[in-house]
Amino acid sequence: MTVVEDARQADGARAAAESAAESAGAAAEDLAAAALSLARRFAAGATMWCVAPRWPSHARHVAVEFVHPVIVGKRALPAVFVDAATAASTVRELARPGDVLLAVSTADDPAVADLLARADAWGVTSVWLGAGRREAAAAPAPRADHVVWLEVDDAAVAARTGDLVMLYHLLWELTHVVFEHPGLLVDDAPAGSDCADDICITCSDEGRVAEVRALLHEGRVEVVAGGRAEQVDGRLVGDLRPGDLVLVHAGVAVTTLSGSDD
Amino acid sequence: MTDAVEPTGFLYPFIEADERDAGALVSDLVASARAKVGDSAALRTSTLARCAGQVEAAASAMAERFGRGGRLFAFGNGGSATDAQGTAELFRLPPTGRPLPALSLVEDQAVLTALSNDVGFDLVFSRQLIAHVRADDIAVGFSTSGDSPNMLHAFEEAARRGLLTIGLCGYEGSGMAVSDAVQHCLVVRSESVHRIQETQDALMFTLWEAVQRHLTEMTEMTEMTAARPA
Repeated sequence: MTVVEDARQADGARAAAESAAESAGAAAEDLAAAALSLARRFAAGATMWCVAPRWPSHARHVAVEFVHPVIVGKRALPAVFVDAATAASTVRELARPGDVLLAVSTADDPAVADLLARADAWGVTSVWLGAGRREAAAAPAPRADHVVWLEVDDAAVAARTGDLVMLYHLLWELTHVVFEHPGLLVDDAPAGSDCADDICITCSDEGRVAEVRALLHEGRVEVVAGGRAEQVDGRLVGDLRPGDLVLVHAGVAVTTLSGSDD
Repeated sequence: MTDAVEPTGFLYPFIEADERDAGALVSDLVASARAKVGDSAALRTSTLARCAGQVEAAASAMAERFGRGGRLFAFGNGGSATDAQGTAELFRLPPTGRPLPALSLVEDQAVLTALSNDVGFDLVFSRQLIAHVRADDIAVGFSTSGDSPNMLHAFEEAARRGLLTIGLCGYEGSGMAVSDAVQHCLVVRSESVHRIQETQDALMFTLWEAVQRHLTEMTEMTEMTAARPA
């Protein structure tokens, strides 16, 4: 190791704390919006499903934070650690429409990208906490209802120096502040809701993301969209398997989005 | 009914129940988040500076143990259990440098429930140490309070068995901070469990960096000695 590398490494945690503080300050508005949405979802009965493929300890920490608050008197909220190896099947079978999927990862985590892509089909609100360079995401970049990002050079450092932990500590703290304002806990349309923002998706030209559940006879396919099961015509795309994501419009699967994955 | 016309809203604890505009709340949340980010960064910076000597001494002792085949066992409760798990991940699967043998004692449900059910939660870590450790090993325990009975029992057992013992806790004067069984106790001075945990992560990362540096130096020393002509 050279002297320069040595000095850089010795100051790693301190320098990282400073650069992350700047980045976390920049993420404050996203955190506030995510906390407001999260409190509203919990108030409506949601469970939060927590996954972090690369850092399982972070997913466990988020879950225990919400279930067993460190501040006496704060309400216990339903959050569950989900093992990354079986995350898709776990959330698919257990999540109810209106629940929350929280993922902690770098931008280029394919398992998280796959889960986030399914959130609309399952009808769950997605919250993506992460660190590193967002441009590292494979195209097309994963989307989530709420993205709270630490824009830092080294995600592996941010994950271990308290920065990533701080992000979900703040999410928990702000969520409980929102609970002190019961009048503001209503009026949040859950993800996948067809008529959010006064636009009826079915009547517009927009397709909805759906996940294939079962292949029926004569090209009919059972899918789940917005957390609700329905039957659509699958003949246009053909060769579908359970778990495939498709775009559905007016009762027809019009294109395949991705292969089944679990 | 006269109640309907009397303005009694001020008598209720949740006068905010009539609140409908989230704009002001969101502004408060943003300001609160920024302030806490500042608090967290300041606590980490001051704690790392204050503990630099202790971290260096602990890292040197850890590197020496790893050098002779020692392994790291990490433990803690709740959020601190996840810090123990994260520590084991950091040492075993490091972002850079050499992987080191590290195991957390919080991840096996069968062992945790068996011990809790049969001998009690206070012994849930110490009994695992009895099963696993050799005198070359290292015990690392995380606690924000520093007073959890199972942590104190674990450190006493580890010290009895000749382990290097390293504790991270939140309060001066806590059981861990005053225990002779904890050879290197890194104390974060804060009243906030969250800020303590964030700073403990930063301390552990710094400790890990220093261990890696010491191991590199030890390897270079060995190479130089081996290369020296007789």
